[in-house]
Amino acid sequence: MGVLLFSLLLIGCADTQNRHTDPENDPWEGFNRKTYAFNEGLDKVVRPIAVGYDKIMPDPFQRGVGNFFRNLDSTVTIVNQLLQGKFRESGSSLGRFLLNSTIGVLGFFDVASKVGIPYYNEDLGQTLATWGYHDSRYLMLPVFGPSTFRDGVTRYADSFYNPVGYAIHGNNRWGYWIVRGIDLRATFLDSDAAIKEAYDPYVMVRDLWLQNREYQIYDGDPPMVDYDIYLDDLDEQPEATRGQDPGSPMNSPH
Amino acid sequence: MKLKIYLLSLICLLIGTANADLKNDDPVTLVEDITGQIFAKVSDNLEAYKNDEESLKDLVREDLIPLLDIDYAARLILGRAGRGVDQEKIDQFASAMSNLLIDRYSAGLLQFSSKIKLQVLPQRGELNPKMTRVRTRVGLPDGGEAPVDYAFRQTPDGWKAFDVIVEGISYITTYRNQIMPEVQANGIDSVINRLSRGELELTD
Repeated sequence: MGVLLFSLLLIGCADTQNRHTDPENDPWEGFNRKTYAFNEGLDKVVRPIAVGYDKIMPDPFQRGVGNFFRNLDSTVTIVNQLLQGKFRESGSSLGRFLLNSTIGVLGFFDVASKVGIPYYNEDLGQTLATWGYHDSRYLMLPVFGPSTFRDGVTRYADSFYNPVGYAIHGNNRWGYWIVRGIDLRATFLDSDAAIKEAYDPYVMVRDLWLQNREYQIYDGDPPMVDYDIYLDDLDEQPEATRGQDPGSPMNSPH
Repeated sequence: MKLKIYLLSLICLLIGTANADLKNDDPVTLVEDITGQIFAKVSDNLEAYKNDEESLKDLVREDLIPLLDIDYAARLILGRAGRGVDQEKIDQFASAMSNLLIDRYSAGLLQFSSKIKLQVLPQRGELNPKMTRVRTRVGLPDGGEAPVDYAFRQTPDGWKAFDVIVEGISYITTYRNQIMPEVQANGIDSVINRLSRGELELTD
């Protein structure tokens, strides 16, 4: 958590950037690229562990661990569904949490999905987005990876009403985070090759993350991309009206 | 995971559009009607196609490509990097892209065709006459499902698909942000050459 707070201190004030997957929405690109490089270094250690974990653990077990963490997060979902006025869904998530925590053996088995209780995922970042703080600049967090300013701050707040998160505040129970991190890392192993081979891996990660985040904010139904804007690019004058490309130091492609 | 889903979904797109005889007035029906039919076609001849990948590629070329708006996709991806570039070059870029897609689709078809379960969701609200999104759910081998949307646009030749969106991630948007800077840095010829060598990072 110290690292997160430190990075937030570095960054400071709030913002209202246009949030779309174009370089304009990444005004901290310089800082973010440095953090990305730092995380990549860290990944040299984390990835082999995740690969090993992925190899050794039988798939059903791995799914169980994923279910376990997902179940713990449902308290965050329940609270934020209430904050977003989604009362029926919140009740449904509560039922899901209770069912999986008991019959599902502390969440290892996703019994709720089997009986047709839908899975929702909400957090404070999404709540703020629905409240109107929709546009937030991209922020690469040390260790935690891609985020936005809004989501980075709220992520920390969310951890207080996650039962495990709450229990370990003030303690030094790193085990939970380490296992969780490794499990999370293992779920992204399939994308590694594509990201590594990308012309600009940093941009690839950013685009994948921001688009998927948008998808979450709109509960799976974001507005259609405005493709016409993409075409307009073709007709613009060389000195584009889009404002200067902020820095985009394309210094590390390939 | 997501990139594997891409591959799956691209194949579903193929399966969902690989019949030019179909009446082309409603994208949802277009995707819906022929799914089972094409599944059967590929599964029935799976062994034959495995031994003769060229014939599978021909099938893809003949049935799929007419239903994709490759030129439009190419222009979207090139964006401002395509400014002032000859139409000829854009055509080359588009055809390098489509050849690559044909290769990838064919390979993927052989691998996944028997495992895909595709559910096409109904059109919501009025059909936008110019551009629309067909929403589907792809059943995954591990029991989960992935939301996959296809963007269609009305062309003089009827509806054509030009984008695949998996869990909110648009193929066009993502690919564009890789290609645009690459073209601006290395020139379009270099990118065309790279694509022609069969390197398309996204669907790996």
